[in-house]
Amino acid sequence: MEFFFQQLTNGLAVGGIYALIALGYTMVYGVLKLINFAHGDLFTMGAYLGLTVLASLGLHQHLGAFGGVVVLALMIMGLVGVVGILLDRAAYKPLRESPRLSAVVSALGASIFFQNALMLVYGARYQYYPKDILPKTVINILGMPVPLMRILILAVSILMMAGLQFFIQKTKTGTAIRAAAIDQAAARLMGINVDRVIMLVFFIGPALGGAAGLMVGLYYGQINFTMGWVYGLKAFTAAIMGGIGNIPGAMLGGILLGLIEAFGAAYISLAWKDAIAFLVLIVILIVRPTGLLGERVASKV
Amino acid sequence: MKKALLSLAVLLAFAGGAFAADTVKIGLMAPLTGKWANEGQEMKQVVDLLAERLNKAGGVLGKKVEVITEDDAGDPRQGALAAQRLSTQGVVGVVGTYGSSTSEATQNIYEENGIIQIVNASTAVRLSEKGLKFFFRSCPRDDEQGIVAAKTLLGKKYKKIALLHDNTSYAKGLGEEVKHELEKAGVKPVFFDALTPGEQDYSTILTKIKKANPDVVFFSGYYPEAGLMLRQKKEMGWNVPFVGGDATNNPDLIKSAGKDAADGYLLTSPPMPGDLPSAEAKAFMKAFKAKHGRIPGSIWSVLAGDGFMVLCEAVKGAGAADSKKMADYMKTKMKNFPGLTGKLSFDAKGDRKGDVYRVYKVDAKGDFVLVK
Amino acid sequence: MIGRIPKRFFVYGVLTALLVSAPLHLNNYWLDVLNNVGLYVILGLSLNLIVGHSGLFNLGHAAFYAMGAYTAAILNTLFHIPILMLIPASALTAGIFALIIVRPIIHLRGDYLCIVTIGVGEIVRIALINDIFGITGGANGIFGISRPILFGMKISKPDEFFWLIWIFVAITVFLFYRLEQSRFGRALNYLREDEVAAEGSGINTAYYKLAAFVLGAAWAGMAGTIYAAKMMTIAPESFNFWESVLMFTLIIMGGSGSIPGVILGAFLIIGLPELFREFKDARMLVFGIAMVAMMIFRTGGILPPRPRKYPIDHAQEGSVNP
Repeated sequence: MEFFFQQLTNGLAVGGIYALIALGYTMVYGVLKLINFAHGDLFTMGAYLGLTVLASLGLHQHLGAFGGVVVLALMIMGLVGVVGILLDRAAYKPLRESPRLSAVVSALGASIFFQNALMLVYGARYQYYPKDILPKTVINILGMPVPLMRILILAVSILMMAGLQFFIQKTKTGTAIRAAAIDQAAARLMGINVDRVIMLVFFIGPALGGAAGLMVGLYYGQINFTMGWVYGLKAFTAAIMGGIGNIPGAMLGGILLGLIEAFGAAYISLAWKDAIAFLVLIVILIVRPTGLLGERVASKV
Repeated sequence: MKKALLSLAVLLAFAGGAFAADTVKIGLMAPLTGKWANEGQEMKQVVDLLAERLNKAGGVLGKKVEVITEDDAGDPRQGALAAQRLSTQGVVGVVGTYGSSTSEATQNIYEENGIIQIVNASTAVRLSEKGLKFFFRSCPRDDEQGIVAAKTLLGKKYKKIALLHDNTSYAKGLGEEVKHELEKAGVKPVFFDALTPGEQDYSTILTKIKKANPDVVFFSGYYPEAGLMLRQKKEMGWNVPFVGGDATNNPDLIKSAGKDAADGYLLTSPPMPGDLPSAEAKAFMKAFKAKHGRIPGSIWSVLAGDGFMVLCEAVKGAGAADSKKMADYMKTKMKNFPGLTGKLSFDAKGDRKGDVYRVYKVDAKGDFVLVK
Repeated sequence: MIGRIPKRFFVYGVLTALLVSAPLHLNNYWLDVLNNVGLYVILGLSLNLIVGHSGLFNLGHAAFYAMGAYTAAILNTLFHIPILMLIPASALTAGIFALIIVRPIIHLRGDYLCIVTIGVGEIVRIALINDIFGITGGANGIFGISRPILFGMKISKPDEFFWLIWIFVAITVFLFYRLEQSRFGRALNYLREDEVAAEGSGINTAYYKLAAFVLGAAWAGMAGTIYAAKMMTIAPESFNFWESVLMFTLIIMGGSGSIPGVILGAFLIIGLPELFREFKDARMLVFGIAMVAMMIFRTGGILPPRPRKYPIDHAQEGSVNP
């Protein structure tokens, strides 16, 4: 029972990170129907920028651990968000009217570019966050020790998802985003500035990815320029599992994927962990061809 | 279509062209990009610096030594292309590369072109078991390490031993060697499985190993995963000792795990760059530090340097940049050549002779201390 | 058609002549680059059938390539069957595997199919690493594959492989060109452009998609055999996700659905990183920029397929301009 519970918390923490990255995938996909393969590398960029800002400003010394991390997170989200907008301008915007797969190749090219740019700027060696920023508190739940940070990671992901969901469903701008997701031409006719909406989406999605990168850097402490590839692929899997374009779906998919990996590794086989996850995904898609919560965007017939 | 024509024209323009033979050309095949880029880039730094020093001192046989570097990206197919490219540039010998599977894809190309290959980190046993004439290695083989690691584990009287690898060619090979040696001594490992390298969270795996309740965990993979596991193990409040193989020999292990979590970690490895006792090594480390601001982090890059020095020495010994004579010289006449990592001699298979492995322990200050 | 030969055929003729004479003026390194290009032309054409002609988003083609390579490598090292004789066996294994795997997922739409094919690719790679059935050699892969022998001649040098690979390319191009012009090819194009209309016109879309997939997979399996023969050693890492990405990218870059486009794409995707070797450790950065730039300047690929034309005097009943 303790074993089960431990693996549950392990899976939830990893799933929380997958979910946060998946939210970014799903946002962009929802409006543009574009798989942004460079999203994983924006996540990596968040981790690297976080390290640079941390080292140069020393925020946590002036503002304390909590305040420092919050300010840092906002800065990184802003920075990565801007990179996201620039990415869209440079690599995706010229391809809006062209075949969809062309944009996919452009995204793959951008991904290679970001990875190698990070390698050239920061060097190929692993980079390390300072170890003393986050508290190492371990709390007891039902008599079982759980590191506090694992719960916080999940909490932050859920909080961000809830905030995003509120923003999309309840605000005027959110309504515009939803309208643009359903039909861009019609949205334009209704007086919605679709270009602004796309810009906003390309700010929010990468910002969330950057936040996830920062979180990984702060908690695990070790980052390298290729890590976005694995996380990106996992998050894409999660977004599809939940039903891409759907915000609660991305959250559900992320957490589910984390749990499948943890329990697959725990009860079946470590070495086959990723294969098990993909197998479950395939089975889910055979039963529900548009993911668990379905795709909430109009499908072109 | 014009573009196709143009690209073909460029292809043709780049091709061909023999170079004048007034220098001795040594190739370096290294992963300058890709997942092992940090190793490859350091290999290049070490070999370039050695060449620079050698040329300042007059080169070999009155000729300058020219190093031609090609990127293999840590990938067999690209490695084969890098080997073909080096073969057309008149190199007499090639240093590298890092990964065993990449080296394997290039072995026959060098053999068929009569070029000496001296690998610096490809420790897979089978590479030197094919009867190749021009294949050498400056690094030891996995089976030697397996014996040292198993001895270390058994010497500590551990009964319940968990073995973990990462399913790479190298780590699985070492894991299986250790398993084999342990079973020969009558100890059956309580756990044998692989993690997925390149991830960040290994608590799932640690939780699973903990369930098998071992006295010790031996991990045969690389330092990034080892560092994360040491840290996450401490976070879990689990105090099992960890022992690792030579791929965890990197100062970054401490940065990744943190000093408190790495304290007491044991590993088998060739000596660390900073621990090399010879005067040559000390002088080189000083020069390297003056140029790059730090000493090399990885012993494998220093072993690439040894490979380079051995090739230059072989040119001298053979009296000419003739690969056939050089290979003969290396196998029969080269005795205890003073390299950076110690004395080098080669057996008939091209493997480095002698006992290279040491046991290191990480102390509370985060330093690697030589145990024996 | 009769009487006037389009200008482009002259260009193709000149290029073919250049290619055929390549062993005379290229060194071994550039010949080996050309061999790699040839291999990716075959892989690209096989994937083109799936992505370019049928519009199925496949990012896991390396799985079928791996099936072929492993089938040949295993049978060759265990039973010492000459490797070139194993080409049909490789095609069969890869094709049957595709049939079993793809059948239940063929109805998935665009991006869902994409992730499933990625998943299949990863499952195959992980299975190979974990030494499934104890015959794949785990992460070490299989080594000691024998050199191919053709008409008593041992093929080992780059100029010898040049002929083997590029003759295979020529056969592939010829067969795929015929296929493109056939009823089958037209049906595939129809369902790529408009699946509902195709179904409405009585085309069994699931059957055609599956057939294209299986044929493409089988062809990739054959390419795998050649790769195994060329490298003499294969390992799971040679068939990772990145390989699938390369094959996919070369099609889209060159011109999806167009045979000359795919050939050009293979030249670019294999040739450019080689040309960029001058940039040392920045070469992949430059390659990434080149990928984005090429898509922006030629959004439909560099040599997109030419629209089908049916000369009036040859038009038959029922053939309509698409």
